[in-house]
Amino acid sequence: MPANMRTLRRRIRSVSNTAKITKAMQLIAASKMRRAQQMVIAGRPYSERIQGLLADLAAVHEQEEDVVVRLLEVRPVQTTGLVLVTPDRGLCGALVGNINRAAGVAIRDCDGEVVVIAVGRKGRDFIVRSGTDLKAVFEDIGDRPSLEDTRPISSLVIREFQERGVDRVWLGYSRFVNTAVQRPEIATLIPVAPAELEPGKRVGYIYEPHAVAVLEELLPRYVEMEVYHAILESIASEHSARMVAMKNATDAANDLIGELQLALNKARQESITSEILDIMGGVAAVER
Amino acid sequence: MADNKGKVVQVIGTVVDVEFPSESMPEIYTALHLELGGELLVLEVEQHVGNNWARCLALGPTDGLGRGVEVTDTGGAVAVPVGQATLGRLFDVTGRAIDGLGPVDAEESWPIHRPPPPFEDLTGTTEVLETGIKVFDLITPFQKGGKVGAYGGAGVGKTVIITELIRNIAREHSGVSVFAGVGERSREGNDLWNEMQEYGVLSSTVLVFGQMNEPPGTRARIGLTGLTMAEYFRDVEKQDVLLFIDNVYRYILAGMEVSGLLGRMPSAVGYQPTLSTELGDLQERITSTVNGSITSFQAVYVPADDYTDPGIVTTFGHLDANISLERSMTEQGLYPAVDPLASNSRILQPQIVGEEHYETAREVQRVLQRYRDLQDVIAILGIEELSDEDRLSVARARKIQRFLTQPMFVAEVFTGIPGKYVPVAETVRGFREILDGKYDDLPEQAFYMTGTIDEAREQGEKMAAEAAA
Repeated sequence: MPANMRTLRRRIRSVSNTAKITKAMQLIAASKMRRAQQMVIAGRPYSERIQGLLADLAAVHEQEEDVVVRLLEVRPVQTTGLVLVTPDRGLCGALVGNINRAAGVAIRDCDGEVVVIAVGRKGRDFIVRSGTDLKAVFEDIGDRPSLEDTRPISSLVIREFQERGVDRVWLGYSRFVNTAVQRPEIATLIPVAPAELEPGKRVGYIYEPHAVAVLEELLPRYVEMEVYHAILESIASEHSARMVAMKNATDAANDLIGELQLALNKARQESITSEILDIMGGVAAVER
Repeated sequence: MADNKGKVVQVIGTVVDVEFPSESMPEIYTALHLELGGELLVLEVEQHVGNNWARCLALGPTDGLGRGVEVTDTGGAVAVPVGQATLGRLFDVTGRAIDGLGPVDAEESWPIHRPPPPFEDLTGTTEVLETGIKVFDLITPFQKGGKVGAYGGAGVGKTVIITELIRNIAREHSGVSVFAGVGERSREGNDLWNEMQEYGVLSSTVLVFGQMNEPPGTRARIGLTGLTMAEYFRDVEKQDVLLFIDNVYRYILAGMEVSGLLGRMPSAVGYQPTLSTELGDLQERITSTVNGSITSFQAVYVPADDYTDPGIVTTFGHLDANISLERSMTEQGLYPAVDPLASNSRILQPQIVGEEHYETAREVQRVLQRYRDLQDVIAILGIEELSDEDRLSVARARKIQRFLTQPMFVAEVFTGIPGKYVPVAETVRGFREILDGKYDDLPEQAFYMTGTIDEAREQGEKMAAEAAA
């Protein structure tokens, strides 16, 4: 069966090349993942403090109901803006599919119009295909973005909200739980909903010049921070998911190689046997 | 010539050498008679080996045969009864009735070795023969007067397909059918006999059997016996005949078994050096002429699932439609286990089957080919990595694969599902609609073992209702 053996050899070669690539991608993803995870964790204390402060400020603000703080304003919703954070690249298992599916469900179940601000190519492609309005696209954020890199995104959504282009902003991204688990999450970003402060937990800061003024200044920072954080989470998720996916792919490829190798060995054995039989038969026939 | 006598001088298993007087050597393919244990044994001359010896093939068991036994030259080749009297009867290789209904009262006997019809008599109609089996009608439409081969390894369902075709076509067919059982299970002959009686088609059928319990000489000639009877109906009665042969490969194998004993040097993979001549002798005669047509259905066993085997390769060229049965399909429970990418038919052309049918069949093959190409990617990276278009074509390909299955009438005892007959137009419509994405929302299981597309939809809706409940 030489023809069969040749195709088997060719397939083994192509599958082992694939395995080499997936193995390399796995190792790269693993090292990138570590850095990305560190960045997520490093950002958490700041994020917690700003939330605490926000809660405190909001409690002060509640006592002055007549003052409207812009990013806290709850309006009847006509248009929803969705900031959809996805990876730029594929080969990261079900991650892209999961976040896009969650976004798709949210868009479908939303009353009123939805416009999307896509961060990452995979999300953009999905939104373009699904026929939803696309407001803006941000790509190539990189693996180690700084706050500077993500600021255009947050200023865009703040402006849109303040200029009443949208009445609510959602933030969709993959939350990094651990290396094996990433959860798609779609949460409301604006209007900001500060955490309820437990009674008696109020520190009683004195705000200069005024609590509302501080709040007005702080809320854009908070939105910026949230967007930045979501992107970091998404990057960490992407690399973790890719590492796991590539590990599975490498394993699957190696399994496949094993199976093909077995088939090749069998075919080789068979062809040798039949060649020997041919020769023996020929010899016997000549001798008679 | 009946007084021309010879003597057995050597017995090598099923090959017998007989010495004759030098002036009256029997011709090649002459039948010789001898008596062995009170039974008649027929020998057929294959070679003159010198010393006035004729090397013969025994068309029956040679147990107990010794040297010196007297042999009578019959003066002609093995001749079998032909004509109306053979209908409804069961024969062995020498034309003896073996159904226990007494001797056959035939007006004519024809020798089983005959030249193929001359070229100027050959015709080819391009009329499509409906089988009622979706995968055949769609991918490998059968030609009236054409030759169809069902290829497959052991236990992939060749015989089931042949018997299903007998059921679907021979029952509707108004003319004569001939079934030749060559080297297959002897039980099947019995089953077929009973089934034919049950369907009421036995009276227009001739059955000949040389099954695996018979010596190789019998298996090497039984195909010719059946064919000769079919030829009579074609050439003399000018009828359209259906010829079923199960299994052509056993004919080759029988030739291989005796080839060495006849003193021929084995060729590639141990086959007889005369492989293509032998097969040509049989296949060239199975053809349609200006007088009448023979539509033949042949099962071809593929040893060790190896399609590059010389015996198989030689067979391919003789047939108009090739149906490949794949083990990988039976492993997934997809019956009939036809590989739609490896099967083909000469008449799958838009001028013959129509533009719609042709396009649908080709597109079905394209989608399945795409699925096959993607299978490595799916195995390694998982289905998530496919683009949306590819994922859709994979889903459709899997639905098509399942819709290509069909419950068989003759397999009802095994599957418990009654068989389905699907007209060609329905088949084409069903696949067209799957390709157009009309059923993208149905689960793939809904298409499994169904007849028409409407049944698939019903089944899908039922499954959805059950899932909801």
